[in-house]
Amino acid sequence: MNNYYLKRTIRAVLTVWIVITLTFGMIRLLPGGPLEQLRGKLLRQGVSPSRVNAMIESYQNVRPNQSLPEQYYEYMTALLTGDLGQSFLQKEPVTAIIGDALPWTVFVMITSTLFIFLIAIVWGALMAYKEGTTFDLLSSSASILFAAVPFYVLGIGLVIVFGYQLELLPTGHRLSPEVEPGLSLLFVLDAVDHAILPIASMVITGAGLQVLAMRGNAIQVLGSDFVRVARLRGLSDQRISVRYVARNAILPMYTGFLTLIGFNLGGSIILEQVFSYPGIGYYMYQALEARDYPLMMGIFLVITVALVLAVYVADLTYGLIDPRVKSGDSREAY
Amino acid sequence: MSLRTEEMDGNSVRDPVIRMSDVSVTYDDGESYVLDGVTVPIERNEILGIVGESGSGKSMLASSLLDAVPDPGQLSGSVEYRPEENESTEVLALEESELRRLRWEEISMVFQGAMSSFNPTMKIKEHFIETLEAHDAIVGVGMDRARELLEDLYLEPDRVLQSYPHELSGGMQQRALIALSLVLEPNVLVMDEPTAALDLLMQQSILLLLQELRAKYDLTMVFITHDLPLVASLSDRLAVMYAFELVEIGPASEVIGSPTHPYTRALLNATPNLNAPLSEMRPVEGKSPAPINVPSGCSYHPRCPLATEECRANHPPDEPVSPGHTAACFHWEEARTEIELNYDGAETGGDQR
Repeated sequence: MNNYYLKRTIRAVLTVWIVITLTFGMIRLLPGGPLEQLRGKLLRQGVSPSRVNAMIESYQNVRPNQSLPEQYYEYMTALLTGDLGQSFLQKEPVTAIIGDALPWTVFVMITSTLFIFLIAIVWGALMAYKEGTTFDLLSSSASILFAAVPFYVLGIGLVIVFGYQLELLPTGHRLSPEVEPGLSLLFVLDAVDHAILPIASMVITGAGLQVLAMRGNAIQVLGSDFVRVARLRGLSDQRISVRYVARNAILPMYTGFLTLIGFNLGGSIILEQVFSYPGIGYYMYQALEARDYPLMMGIFLVITVALVLAVYVADLTYGLIDPRVKSGDSREAY
Repeated sequence: MSLRTEEMDGNSVRDPVIRMSDVSVTYDDGESYVLDGVTVPIERNEILGIVGESGSGKSMLASSLLDAVPDPGQLSGSVEYRPEENESTEVLALEESELRRLRWEEISMVFQGAMSSFNPTMKIKEHFIETLEAHDAIVGVGMDRARELLEDLYLEPDRVLQSYPHELSGGMQQRALIALSLVLEPNVLVMDEPTAALDLLMQQSILLLLQELRAKYDLTMVFITHDLPLVASLSDRLAVMYAFELVEIGPASEVIGSPTHPYTRALLNATPNLNAPLSEMRPVEGKSPAPINVPSGCSYHPRCPLATEECRANHPPDEPVSPGHTAACFHWEEARTEIELNYDGAETGGDQR
């Protein structure tokens, strides 16, 4: 059993290490490469070659005249001390930018994912109980329809209607200009106000598939022998729906729930662009446009680590919620 | 119920604990019958074996006894439950709350597939506790009884109660399920293929345990199976089902020793038997009918070598063969001579089991 946890941990660390190494290699293998481009740009601007080298070194934790293994060693040690280099664009350390942006993205994405699953569990279970009725049919159709709409299309629509036409909600940014971050009610309300539209566009388009998944699970459990036996044993409907149906129908969705949080962090690149919401996705887009490689790599790393972490947590905790998986050997998220 | 139908049962049942009369289950607004006019009294403290092939309506008969036919099946007829000799309750007329009390407290049931009868995410103990609580029983007393039952079934109560279902073997789950079905001290235990998923040794040991339980707890048992030799040694009386009807019923020794209905005789000839050479084993020719197109008249006529115009046109009544033994066949007397049995001990009336 301990062996299992050890194996999972090693695998997670290994995955992250491979991703770091690949990004390191890719940056250097690209023809020309961002550093060459930067060097050319700076030299054309008339900066002295020794200053150019110094700047590149600070941007990338790389000394251009070092051999590749040496560069790799330096880069990795810098990473381990938490140094992701300097952003070309913002003239700030990458860690500072990510540290400022990440909480906002995590807030939006975790809230969205929680709402998605809350809706999925309640609605899906209701549909299963009313299988074959008009309610079930309409809900299924609606679920498929909403699931087919891309979240950024819905997002743009929401901004136009609620932001510009009705002027009910802000069209972008994470806070109003006059509000200072702090532990005040005003700050919390303003933050929620700005997050409503991004969260709504994620939830409305993301819930459909999960609702259908929950419906399927619940129908399967409702038709199982143990539910029939429980009814004959005279258990109350309430107990059957909570302890028997809900519990057994939700279990298979747990892993999906955690991994969806990880995937959604990646999805933030487009979402935050639509809502001009300065989270890590917003900066990722800017970094891509401006070829700000250190920032790009830093955010890429964060998204990767988040996904690996989600799968890792799912693997480790599944055994706690499902008694059938003590060692976890038979149920791995990926 | 009139005296005449009583006689037509041919069942010399003195004190029935349950009396099923003309019980039918239909689906599709009465289009298809999955149980067709079954009339059978169940004697107090007997073991009644019900045999039939897959899809002959056995499980429907079991579910009918608890008014628990799966939706959208329509149950009609009468199921009279007599807890005492002079008391009588019509099960099919009960309110939902009364039905809740009847099930498990009076008439209990063990399903086929014990492995899927427990909630996989709950310990066995919780199944017992929630059952006791749902019936307002005192949990402490009930759990003592549960431990005793588990011990009677040769299980270690503490270990089993603390286990999750998947931690027990199939045989242990089956026995735990039997204990669970008896925890409220019911009078009648209905078992629907309780040993189907078990190996032969486990089947035998469970049958022995059931006989011990019957003696100790004064149980009436209805044992439903497709396995004729298995139930033959266990039952007091045997009923044979074909195409959603009971075609023959009588004391187990007579039904095995001198079967009367052509189907019963064909079924016994198709049963593997140590005394009969393999070459003489014959499958029952043809296929049993589906619920949507049961043949008119006697439903067995397309497969019966003795079928005549009468069989095709009219439904045969239950003919009394001997005291307590009936067969639904116009030609039951010819069947005894025309359809030869391929095993020893036949026609001598009873030493077969």
